[in-house]
Amino acid sequence: MPRRTRREQHRRNQRHKDVLHTAGRHRAHDFRCVGCRLDVSLVAPGTAHRNHCPNCLTSLHVDHRIPGDRAAGCGGRMEPLGLTVRTDGEWMLIHQCLTCARLSANRIAGDDNALALVRLALRPLQDRRVASSALLSMP
Amino acid sequence: MSSDHLAHQHHTTGAAFGIGTFTCVRCGLTVSAKSADGTRRNHCPSCLHSRHVLDQIEGGPSECGARMSPIAIAVLRTGDWTLVHRCVRCGELSSDPVCGDDNQLMLMRMAVRPLADPPFPLEAFGSL
Repeated sequence: MPRRTRREQHRRNQRHKDVLHTAGRHRAHDFRCVGCRLDVSLVAPGTAHRNHCPNCLTSLHVDHRIPGDRAAGCGGRMEPLGLTVRTDGEWMLIHQCLTCARLSANRIAGDDNALALVRLALRPLQDRRVASSALLSMP
Repeated sequence: MSSDHLAHQHHTTGAAFGIGTFTCVRCGLTVSAKSADGTRRNHCPSCLHSRHVLDQIEGGPSECGARMSPIAIAVLRTGDWTLVHRCVRCGELSSDPVCGDDNQLMLMRMAVRPLADPPFPLEAFGSL
């Protein structure tokens, strides 16, 4: 245990920080994932509206009715719930807010984690009971 | 007697007998509002389409009333399947639990639809 007999030295106050990293500076076009803390650039291959982390596919509930309006007061974490396919064959992620259970859909980006996407696509087929009952009900 | 008067009369008799039916807006099938296990049904068991009557964002009734088509199968933590609907008019999403007497072929078709046309080759996952 250290001895505390030394007199407290005068400590300089912390300097005021005037460099802003996010608002209009070098990290204005980045966000940090709430799930895995990865620093993600908003520039994504294949999409102009990246809203989820390419590594863990987690998103944040910031939009209300219109995508990009930033009017939601929730701010909760949105976990990927499922995958859907557009009529042109494009995959879309469905997110659900863990705070208010709101759903939203977003296109996948070109650098999204393929393993996480395939795990999400295979999730309904993991349970054998449902698959076997579907096969038994076939005519 | 006008047709809407007839419809009103039909509705009241259905409610008086406690039957509670609705007509599917897509395939026209008349289905009972209660499923076999007693839970309230909100989509057609044959074609799985629904109707936008509840506002999912602010709650309460919605004035949209358009058809909602099923787009995805989601799995809850309990392992039960959930059907995700999307309104064809305003694009709002809703999720409803799957009933026991829903069309299993349609459900399975929707579950395997992402794997039919993947955006990347799936052969690489065989070596993992």
